[in-house]
Order: sequence, then C-alpha cells, then structure tokens
Amino acid sequence: VTQGHSVFRDEAKLDINYVPYKLPHRDKELSLLMEFFIFTLQYPEKMAQRVMITGDVGTGKTVLSQRFGTDVAREAGKRGTNLRYVHVNCREYRGSLLLILHHAISVFHPNFPGRGYSAEELLRTFVQILDQENAFVILTLDEFDSLVEKEGSEAVYKLTRLQETRQNKPQRLSLICILRNLNGIQQLDPSTRSTLQSNIISLEKYSKQQLIDILDDRVSMAFRSSAVPEETVGLVAELALAENGNARFGIELLWRAGKYADAEGLGTVAPECARRAVSSIIPAVRKGELASFSLHEKLFLLSIARLFNKSQKVRISLSEAEQAYAVVCEEFTTKPHSHTQLWTYLQTFSVAGIIEKEVSATDSRGRSTLICLPRIPARELEKELSGLLEQREV
Amino acid sequence: VEDVFSSRLRMRILRILIQVSELNVSEIARRVGVNYESAIKHLRILEDEGIIQHKMFGRIRLYRLDEHSPKTRAVQNLIDTWEHADKQ
Repeated sequence: VTQGHSVFRDEAKLDINYVPYKLPHRDKELSLLMEFFIFTLQYPEKMAQRVMITGDVGTGKTVLSQRFGTDVAREAGKRGTNLRYVHVNCREYRGSLLLILHHAISVFHPNFPGRGYSAEELLRTFVQILDQENAFVILTLDEFDSLVEKEGSEAVYKLTRLQETRQNKPQRLSLICILRNLNGIQQLDPSTRSTLQSNIISLEKYSKQQLIDILDDRVSMAFRSSAVPEETVGLVAELALAENGNARFGIELLWRAGKYADAEGLGTVAPECARRAVSSIIPAVRKGELASFSLHEKLFLLSIARLFNKSQKVRISLSEAEQAYAVVCEEFTTKPHSHTQLWTYLQTFSVAGIIEKEVSATDSRGRSTLICLPRIPARELEKELSGLLEQREV
Repeated sequence: VEDVFSSRLRMRILRILIQVSELNVSEIARRVGVNYESAIKHLRILEDEGIIQHKMFGRIRLYRLDEHSPKTRAVQNLIDTWEHADKQ
C-alpha cells in the first residue's frame, strides 16, 4: 500500500507505548495523582510519597502513571528540581529487585555493571547516586505483584523504609506501585502493606461511551480524516467492552482493522475490517459447529452473513434478517420457517457465540430484536456457509 | 606527553571512554583485552595526567573523561581529527 492510499496518518499513535497528551476520562485520577505529589514537588527533600494504582487490564493504569511522570518531571524542571520519573515493568525484570534497581541506576549511569553485588548494595549505590547528583526519583513499579511474588515482603520493605536508615538526610525515592487489585499484596507483612496502602487510586472499568471517546481520540490522531466510520468505532468499543472494558484491546483492534483495510485497498476501515481483526485475535467459530447446523439454520445464518456483508452495518434487525432469509429460501427453493422458529435459531447462534442479540428500546412500534455479528467476518461466514450448502446440493 | 601517547593500550582506553563516556574497570579491561591489574595501572596513569577521573559506588569504580581538562579536549580533538581524516 502506498503512503498516499493508506488509511493511517500516524500509526505510532496506536502503539502500546504511546502516551497521549490528554487521557479521556482519567483527568480526575491524574489530578489526584498530582495532588498526592504536590508537597513532594514543593519540598522534595522533606517528603517521599507512596501511591498505589489499581485497576483491571486496559483501564489505563500504565498510561496514567506515564502521563503523570512526564508532567511532574517537567513541572519539577521549571522549579529547578532534578526529579526523574522512572517506569519499570517488574514482570519484564522477572520480579527481581536487583534487576529493577539496576535499570533505575542505568538511567543515571547507562554503563553501570550489571553483575557482582547484592540488591542491598545496589540500593545503597542508587541512593548514593541520587545524593551525589542531588536528584529525586519517582520509581513506578508496574505489575508490582510480580515483585511481591518473587521477592516477598523483604524487598518491598527495603524500598519503602529506605529513609529509616538515613535519618536527617533528604528523601530521595518516591514509589508508585501498579497492580490489578489489592489481592496482589496480601502476602506482604501487615506493616509493609499499611505503608503502601495510604494512597490508593483505583481505576474503574471504562463504559462503552468512555471507550468510544478514547477510540475517537486515537482515531483523530492515527487515521486520515473520515477513514474510520462512526459504526466501526462503535463496534470496536463494543468488542473492547466485551473484553472487560479493555481500552488497550480496542486500540490494538483499531490498528489491526486499519491494516486489513490497507491490505484490501479499501480506503476506509469498515466494520467488516474490525470483525476480521477480532477474529485474528479471538478464536472464531469452529467450522464443525457450522456443519452441525440444520439446513434452515444454515440458510438463516447465511442470510444474516449476507446482510452484514452488503450493508456494512453493525446491527441488523430480526425483521431485516427475516426478509433476507426469505430471499435465500427462494434461491434454495425451500419454504421459509416461521418467525418463532427463526427466533429459536437466533438463540442457538447466540449460545454458540456467533452472533449477539439485543432488544432495542421500546418505540411506538414496540420492541424489536437486533442482531450483531461482532467476532466473525461476515465474508468468511458467508463463504463457509455457501460451501457447506453447495456440498449438500451435490 | 610521551607517557600518554606512547602507549597503545592507553590510547585504546581513551578511545573507548570517548565512545561510551563512562565505564567500570572490569569492562574497560575486557574491551581493551588486558587483565584487571594492567587496566587499573593504565587508568591511574591517565588519571594522574588529569585526563580522566573516577567515582566510587560501593565497590564499583566508574571512570570517565575529565571534561574540564584542556588535555582531555586536546586528546578528543586529536582522535576526532585522525578518525575523520581516515574516513575521507
């Protein structure tokens, strides 16, 4: 795909490591985090802070902390304070305090030797470096539970009670610990736990509308204007919501959908691209399952697949599906089954995880059933069913 | 001046420190291809000349060029000019 035809303007804005300038629906938490550190910022030598950030996967813990880190270091710079923000993913360092500290030291001395001493020695060295450079560090321990699991209370105790061994000296090291929930620190001894638990920011799962706002924000940065229709963003938000409100999943899906659109030279990221993208991440329906459906189940599902394929819609109504089914039945010269029977088939498809159905809000004409095909590309589904029906005809 | 420029090892140490800015003794020894004692002997000579300096972190001794020394700048210029001329 040539640059001129790509749906993307700047793919890097969808990268897992990209930290946006603004964090939609996390502004309160960002302010709170800044509030916790305001005294440390004003009088860095007098107080080190400890904060925990909790929340499920994709609730924005890492990005919140990194945004804060950049902002706080810039603010400290304006005040003439040498404050560094160091973000470490504990799991990447196998939960080892030694490796984590070595990474922190390498921010100041990139060629600091990696072997030959204990974690205690390295912690002393780290503080010595901070004293010599009159520097202050906010050390973020992402996936903190992996450090707790590997090193236990002892390591965390050393980090949190560092100042007790250096009375009347400037406080140098603040901590932000990121983990999914507080179960991850249950194995710590009560005193270490209580030291950490004084400031907790817990991030709630994003709602669908919040996910849409986040995705819209990224779409405007990463894609060409009008390359991603509203329906696609809505569908991706729905899929991210189904994945526990995981915004990161949604952002990755957007990128993947964009890649499918580019590969086919579509120029826009249609909902079908998102379906194909998600089917590459989530295992799609098994072929055997489709083969086990009855003739009319297959015909009805084929009509649904065709409708989605043709319309580029995210949802279709049961009555639309029924009309399409009537056409398919004509094509296969068979008499259509009743509305009640089709509703039962829909139930079967829903249980099999092929479609999702929802009931629309009551309007003047009563309630109607809506069908959504979130995970499987309509085109693949149509192809598969057509193949199965042809085999039967032969 | 002969003490610095007459030694192939000392010149190699200086070139390494120009490239990476700061290194511990064992790593310098490894990169130059000598043992620890030999490396420390050459490093001390360069430090006595005021071209490099060191900081101790526990048992770790990190050497770097003394950026404020006119001798260091002269050595850096010499090596830069030499290597630049070689490339042309």
